[in-house]
Amino acid sequence: MNTESNEINILNKLSLMFEEFFIFIALLLLVAFFGFTAENFFSTGTLTAILTQLPALTVVTIGMTLVLITGGIDLSVGSVVALSSAVIGIAFTVFELPLLVSGLLGIAAGGCAGLINGVLGAYFRLPIFIVTLGMLEAGRGMAYLVTNSQTVYIGPSIQGLALPISGIGVSASFLTSLALVVLAQLALTRTVFGRYLIAIGTNETAAKISGIRTEPYLTWVLVISGLLAGLGGLMNAAYLGASDPNAAIGLELSAIAAAVIGGTSLMGGRGSIIGAFIGVLIISVLQNGLAQLGVSEPFKRLITGLVIILAVLIDRWRSR
Amino acid sequence: MTARISVEGLCKSFAAPVLQDVRLEIADGSIHGLVGENGAGKSTLINIICGLLAADAGVIKLEGHDYTPESRKESINQGVALASQELSLIDTLSVAENILLTALPRKTITIDRDGVEKKARELMGMVALDSATLHRRVADLSLAQKQLVELAKALSMADEQTRLLILDEPTSALTSPQADELHKIIREKAENGLSVIYVSHRLDDVLEVCDVVSVLRDGKIQLTAPASTLDNDALIKAMSGEELQSRGEQQIREYGDVRLDVFQLTTAELPNAISLQCHEGEVLGIVGLSGSGRSELLHGIFGLGVERQGRVTLLAKEKNDIYIDSASTAVKHGVALIAEDRKTQGIFASKSISLNTTVAGLGKFGSGLSRVVPTREMQVSEELIDRLKVKCEGPLQLIDRLSGGNQQKVLIARWLETKADVWLLDEPTRGVDVGSKAAIHEHLRQLRDQGAAIVIASSELEELTTLCDRILVLSNRKAVKTFKRGEWNNELLLEAAFSQHKGERLVS
Repeated sequence: MNTESNEINILNKLSLMFEEFFIFIALLLLVAFFGFTAENFFSTGTLTAILTQLPALTVVTIGMTLVLITGGIDLSVGSVVALSSAVIGIAFTVFELPLLVSGLLGIAAGGCAGLINGVLGAYFRLPIFIVTLGMLEAGRGMAYLVTNSQTVYIGPSIQGLALPISGIGVSASFLTSLALVVLAQLALTRTVFGRYLIAIGTNETAAKISGIRTEPYLTWVLVISGLLAGLGGLMNAAYLGASDPNAAIGLELSAIAAAVIGGTSLMGGRGSIIGAFIGVLIISVLQNGLAQLGVSEPFKRLITGLVIILAVLIDRWRSR
Repeated sequence: MTARISVEGLCKSFAAPVLQDVRLEIADGSIHGLVGENGAGKSTLINIICGLLAADAGVIKLEGHDYTPESRKESINQGVALASQELSLIDTLSVAENILLTALPRKTITIDRDGVEKKARELMGMVALDSATLHRRVADLSLAQKQLVELAKALSMADEQTRLLILDEPTSALTSPQADELHKIIREKAENGLSVIYVSHRLDDVLEVCDVVSVLRDGKIQLTAPASTLDNDALIKAMSGEELQSRGEQQIREYGDVRLDVFQLTTAELPNAISLQCHEGEVLGIVGLSGSGRSELLHGIFGLGVERQGRVTLLAKEKNDIYIDSASTAVKHGVALIAEDRKTQGIFASKSISLNTTVAGLGKFGSGLSRVVPTREMQVSEELIDRLKVKCEGPLQLIDRLSGGNQQKVLIARWLETKADVWLLDEPTRGVDVGSKAAIHEHLRQLRDQGAAIVIASSELEELTTLCDRILVLSNRKAVKTFKRGEWNNELLLEAAFSQHKGERLVS
């Protein structure tokens, strides 16, 4: 009996790993392809470029994936990133608050935006697509208002977060995003919270009948997405050394694309944080690799779009 | 003379046989009533005639020619019109557009607006629908008005080419004068040679308007006779099946104290206050026709439902009374609900049996970031699968791969895991094979013997008469009567279930 269940366990783990294994192979193939075709792909320059851009998209994608798993969507993340970084810039330069406090204020601003999204969606039962679409506009507007539509220079003190720590070779931002990927994956697969998100996304009525209060979970998941977008704003400001109210336009689409490439279903009920992270890597490698090959911007976008559609096609075919 | 439509040896099975060797013959210009309990096979028969389902065996002839429509479109082309019980209207279009949807008058390429208006007015006049509503959106109409639109729509198909008009519960939302008006129109049409199949729960209506009536029970035609030779009692007798009565009589059991007390419960869907009690170790049945409020009552007790009022209390010795104000309170204190529609309200599709068995019990570990240990989850799930003898490959198999009966067992397992001792079950054995059905009944008996309070709503009388200690009858969203074991027979139960439908029409 015991060995039997162990066998089932191993099989289970393999099949679970297999899902992410598939796109991991795709990532390796992509890296190999650019390694052969682009001359300087395996240089520290490329690595640095990828690693500095990565953290903001990664943390935002974590939030997006959780929201998508419940069957929702959060279109406001790009604007919330800009709003948070605007708040941080003004708090630090105009109000001369310590960097830590400014950072927390930015993250809190993101959390507030998420709370509004969540309450309107879960308790007022408004369609979350529309609510977050509204927040996409409103958040961007607030970012312009806060900064008076100017880029606010913060200076080198904040850039420390985005620069490689000596001896480790990667930045604090990157380490943080990596830690959050692991934490979120554990929360999704090993906690009651995660189980409930999957249950709600699969069948909300059945979840309610199973005694799950769906509203708090649907709210929390958007608050988490908002907080992570706020953190993304901090990372973005750190990478630029400034708060740019025009930052992260269209980031929500990259985050959705990364989640979907990673096997998350837009219908809800299915998704993986690790998979989404690999999706982020695929998008970054693709962008940087194509740039190194000298592909023009229009072609870069065309190819990225095709890759997203291809990923969904493969996923559909695989789940049959 | 050949009949307008004749049906011979028609059979259809889903999980279980639904229609068996059905024979029906409808003459030109005849209005043919079709009655039966829920689940007797009426809808299936109509769906087959309308081309929405394919029969397993049997021959249908339309005016002597073989007739096997493969789609609704094909049956319309051959002259079969249907006014459905579930309204087939498009909320966002106007009344006129809905009525003529399948036959909009056209100019060469555009819609002929004047033509639409003229023809729609004509049809609305026929069903006595206020012509002021012509251009209003269907969404803004009352239920009765919608039903009239549905009828007008069916009549729009009932032109020269229509040979058979099927009316499924045409009067369920109508007032008496409206229904009388409708019956007049139907009779006129029949005199001009249209044949009609008239399906209804309102037996008085059926007897009034029909020439011939057939009774379906358990997928078989029990009786076909001229309406003039029949009365209410004869129909109810044929629907209930007298030979079943003897089986219902088993010994009267003892049960314990009140466990579940429902006092003056109302919801938006259940406007008339309902009170009931269920005792420890008792099985309480709920009987009612479809739309009688059975499911709404169970959902209301469980803490679901809009504008829920009244008091639902869980009583237990040496414990405080618990008032159920929401589904999560109910679950936390040992109430289980197995809802009617397994697909949309029960299972988590494309998820493992493991998740499906453990999801309701997770609340025990706390709601937040409490850890779920996959190996322990798997163990729990395996034990439950063993206990209920779910036929599957293991806890990781997707629930979609299981038969209906085994899915239902998984749902029961889900609530065993929460240690529920108040069970609310809505059609627990619908679409379940005979073997699983017996197993599920056996489990319910075991739970009852362990002291659980069980409430079962079912459209299958036999299921209730064998399992239950008491049966509450709902009719038209009202609680009509409670029978104790020994007091009931199928005829009495059905009579009570039909009682409020009858009353409504007698007011006229």
